[in-house]
Amino acid sequence: MNNGRAIPLINSVCYVRLAVGEPGASARFVSDIFGLQRVADLDGEIAFRSDDRFRTVSLGRKAPDGASIGIEVWDDDALKEIGRRLREAGFTAREATADECRRRYVQSALLAADASGNRIDLVVRPTRSGRRYFPARDAGIVEFHGVGLRTTDHARDLAFWRALGAEVSDWVGDIAYLRIDGLHHRVTLYPSKRNGILYAAFEVEALDQIMQNSYFMQESQIRIVQGPGREPASRQMFLHVEGPDGLIFSYVNGMAKLDEKPRLARQFPLTATSLCDWGSESKDVPELGAPA
Amino acid sequence: MIQLKDVSYVRLGSPDLESAENFATTCLGLQIAERGKKDLYLRSDARAHTLCYSEGDPGDQTVGFEVEDEASLQEAASTLESLGHAVHAGSAHEAEQRKVKAFIGFRDPTGNHVELVVRPERSGRRYFASRDAGITGFSHIGLNSTDPGRDERFWTQVCNARVSDRIGDIPLMRVNAIHHTIALVRAPKAGIQHINHQVESSDDVLRSYYFLSGRRVPIVFGPGRHPTSGARFLYFKGPDGMIFEYSVGVDEIEDEATHRPRQFGFEPTSFCMWGAKPAGMALPNN
Repeated sequence: MNNGRAIPLINSVCYVRLAVGEPGASARFVSDIFGLQRVADLDGEIAFRSDDRFRTVSLGRKAPDGASIGIEVWDDDALKEIGRRLREAGFTAREATADECRRRYVQSALLAADASGNRIDLVVRPTRSGRRYFPARDAGIVEFHGVGLRTTDHARDLAFWRALGAEVSDWVGDIAYLRIDGLHHRVTLYPSKRNGILYAAFEVEALDQIMQNSYFMQESQIRIVQGPGREPASRQMFLHVEGPDGLIFSYVNGMAKLDEKPRLARQFPLTATSLCDWGSESKDVPELGAPA
Repeated sequence: MIQLKDVSYVRLGSPDLESAENFATTCLGLQIAERGKKDLYLRSDARAHTLCYSEGDPGDQTVGFEVEDEASLQEAASTLESLGHAVHAGSAHEAEQRKVKAFIGFRDPTGNHVELVVRPERSGRRYFASRDAGITGFSHIGLNSTDPGRDERFWTQVCNARVSDRIGDIPLMRVNAIHHTIALVRAPKAGIQHINHQVESSDDVLRSYYFLSGRRVPIVFGPGRHPTSGARFLYFKGPDGMIFEYSVGVDEIEDEATHRPRQFGFEPTSFCMWGAKPAGMALPNN
C-alpha cells in the first residue's frame, strides 16, 4: 500500500468542499437534519465539523473551484513525491497559494484534478480542533469516513489514485473500492456519465444510529436515496440521504478492516445483491444501482 | 408451584392448510416436519416441531410449555384444580398428536388455552429451513390478557414466571435465563398475540424486511429494536391475521436472584428505540 515507502504518502480523506446554489439553506440541512456541527464562515464558505478535525465539510457557492475533496498527505516531502508522480503520469498539480491554503484550513497543498475533472486537494497539516465535536442533533456521528466519486474515465482515474498509493480492495462491476489505510475503503470510484462527488460518508456509532437516522429521515420527509443497507464486499452498513442540490450524505458503520497481508481484489458482478446484502435498491441514482 | 422450563410449541387452527403451508415455507422459512391429512407440523430448531397448524377454527390457539417430568405434571394438575382451573388430562392419542410423552390442558385467567407437556420430541436430523431466513429457533410468545395485573399474578405466583421488565402495567416474563418467554398484551379477548422466532443476526432482520416487503407481506412493526430486551425485531402478518416476529439478540438475565424488573413508560420509545411505529398491530396495553 505504501508503494515501497516506509511510510504512506497519504493517510485520510480529510474534507469535502461542496458547491451549492444556496449555502445558507443547505447549511440548515447539514446541521439540523444530518447532524454536523456548524463552526465557521470564511469568505462565503460555511464549515462543519464531524469529529476532532476543525472541519470536514464546507459549503460554498457554485464557482469554478467550488468543489473539491481533501486528501491528507503525510508531509511536505510526500507532497513533493506525489507532485512528481502525478506530473509523470500526465496529471496537472499546482501548488496552492497562501489564500487557497487558508480557505482550506491547511498549511500547504497541491491542487490536482483526476482525468474526469474531479478536483482533489492534496493537503499537508489540515487544522484540528482542541474542542470536542458537539453537534446540534444526536445523529451518533463519530467521524468523517470517506467519499464516493463519479468517474467518466475509469482507467485514468484509477491511475491517479494508484499514484497516491491507493489500492483496489474489491470490484463490483467496474466500481472500485480504494483503500488508503487499514480499512476496506475510503474512496469509491463509480463509473458515471458525469464527474463530481457522489456522496460524503460519515461513520456513526452502530447499527442503532443507522436505523434511528433512517426513521428520523422518514419523519422529516427527507428522501432516502438508498438503504438502510449493507455492502457485501466491505460489510459496511449504509444509509444514503439526499440533501439540497442533490447532495448525498451518508451514515455508515461496520466496515471491514484489512490486515497487512497482501490480498487479491475480489470481483463481484454488477447486480443488486453485490451492492446491498439486505435487499435495498436505489431507484433514482444510477451510480448506486445495478441494471435490472 | 408449577415450574415451566421452556415454551414448547404453538398449535393454531386454520381453515386453509394450503395457504398456511405456503406462508410457513416461502415467507416465514420453517421446515415441514410432517404433513398429515388435517395437520401440518413445522420445525424451527432441533425440536421435532414447534408450530402445528390443524384444520379448524383460527380462534383455536394453544401454547405448550415444557415441565420437568410426569410427577411435576401431576402436581401441576392438582395445583390448578385446587385454584379452580378445569384441567384436561391428555389422552394417549392427543399426546401423540402433540409429539409429547404426556400433557395436561387448562385455561389461564384470561381464557388462553395452555398445555403443559412432558418430554416433547426432538429430532435427530438438524433443522433445514425452506428459505434462508436465518431462523435459529422458536423462542417466545405474546399472550393476550384482559387484565395484565391479574394475569401477571397467575403466571408468577402459580407458574413460577419472573418479571424481567414492565412497560406500563404489562409484564415481560421469563421462565429461564432468556429475557422473556411470555409477554402479556392487553386485548379484549384470549388469544396468541404474536409468535417469535429468533434469527442469527441483525442482517437477517433487515434482509427479511426487504424480502417480505417485496412479497407484499404486511410489515406491522419494525425493523426496530426493543429497549427492554435489546432485541432487533421485525413483526409481520401471516395467515388468519397471526403476527409473527423475527428477532435477534434478546438479553439473558445474568443474575436470577438479584435482577430487578425495570419500569418503562407506556410510550412508543419503550417499544422501539430506533423510531419504528406499529402499523396495524396493537401495542401491548393499547
